[in-house]
Amino acid sequence: MPLEMPPTPVYIICSPGLQVGKTLIARLLSEFLLLKNGSVLSFDINLREPSLVDYLPKITETADVTDTWGKMQLMDRLILDDGIAKVIDLGFHAFDEFFKMCIEIEFVREAVRNQVAPIILFVGSADRVSSRSYEVLRHQIRAPALITVHNQFVLRGELPEAMDRGPVLRIFALPQFLKTYIDRLTFSFTGYLRHEKDSTTELHQWIWRNYTLFRDIELSLMRSARLGARR
Amino acid sequence: MAKPVVIVVGADKGGVGKTTVCRTLLDYFSVNKVQTRAFDTESPRGTLKRFHSNITEIVDMTTTADQMRIFDTLNSGLSVTVIDVRAGLLSVALNSLRDIGFLDSVKSGQITFAVFHILGPSIASLDEIAETANFMNGAKYFLVKNFINDTQFFQWDQSTYDSYFHRIKGATELTIPKLNEMAYEQVEVASVSFVNFVANKGPLDEIANYSFVLRGYVRHWLANVWSEYDRIDLTDLTGTTAVPRSSET
Repeated sequence: MPLEMPPTPVYIICSPGLQVGKTLIARLLSEFLLLKNGSVLSFDINLREPSLVDYLPKITETADVTDTWGKMQLMDRLILDDGIAKVIDLGFHAFDEFFKMCIEIEFVREAVRNQVAPIILFVGSADRVSSRSYEVLRHQIRAPALITVHNQFVLRGELPEAMDRGPVLRIFALPQFLKTYIDRLTFSFTGYLRHEKDSTTELHQWIWRNYTLFRDIELSLMRSARLGARR
Repeated sequence: MAKPVVIVVGADKGGVGKTTVCRTLLDYFSVNKVQTRAFDTESPRGTLKRFHSNITEIVDMTTTADQMRIFDTLNSGLSVTVIDVRAGLLSVALNSLRDIGFLDSVKSGQITFAVFHILGPSIASLDEIAETANFMNGAKYFLVKNFINDTQFFQWDQSTYDSYFHRIKGATELTIPKLNEMAYEQVEVASVSFVNFVANKGPLDEIANYSFVLRGYVRHWLANVWSEYDRIDLTDLTGTTAVPRSSET
């Protein structure tokens, strides 16, 4: 029996809130995909915040969803089943416009039809805006394609109950000095793994743990694609 | 044999979107499998014909020969005839229909007749309603507020509009929502029907390469327009039943 090709994943890292760690997740994920697949295409829709393009300029393009032309430039590429995983660092100011457009052009349904798998990594926080936005997304995108990210750098306590019911990706907090270290523009997670020979360091284990979580998401994506193909 | 149905789309003002409404009607009938033909009165160069060339003929409604081409062939077997009336010709066309006895046949129930009157933003549009109403005995009269080109209907006082609207028994109001400008422009450039644009097909049914985003906008907009046609039971008017639509279109 021929092996089915898995769909092309499109990871959308988002939150309606500011400074919740979207870019950190986008960096980690982009570097993981680059290491695993040898290629990744990341988009930075985050122009008013410190952003992905500053960290990973070689694999990141900027995008803008404030006008139709910008939407075409972005979405017409996201819908392609070209085997290259995409990562979108969606700034909080573009959150509403982006998902409004997705509803209008039926992005999720068309993506599935084109063998593209959108995966929303929603960075949760405890405020009402976040809970409301999560509910809206939950009606559009079902688990396992909607994953809450519990970024413990930002949200020290529990996630709101509704967000904890579906799949959750937990990013543990590092000590402040390590956080400052990984926030440097020149820091590379994969570069650190390659050059730091001591695999017992806290940072080494933290990066590996997160890469393993992303690997699990990829595996579950392949499994559901295989199940879908058999149905 | 099914009763012939004639739908006239017109306005006395230009640029209010008559042809756009015609195009949505032809697409609607096509997906509902209603046999349709269309006449484009933008003689000698048709606009409607550019988008629906296989079912559209260009005619000059002021000439007797072309009036015969349209009305002497109503029983040709195609159940719906859509006429896109050129700007400024609506009153003239209705007068001609009265003169040739067409409106009498409508009154006596031999022909189903509907007018889609596309309203503009100015007060003059309201006077057109009063004028057109004189011809509507036995016909279906639809007043279409077309927002496709971002018309604001700013000059209208609602009570004035209502007083005109209520003068016509059985008049029904329709709203055509706005379509994203770039999407509209791209369909114009492609010169295909809205349905073909959504399906990513070129003028010869070949696979095209239209933007996914723009196709999405058109699909969403067309679904809204068609839900207005469903609301007014447009297929009932033609004696057919609406076909359940897949989300393809």
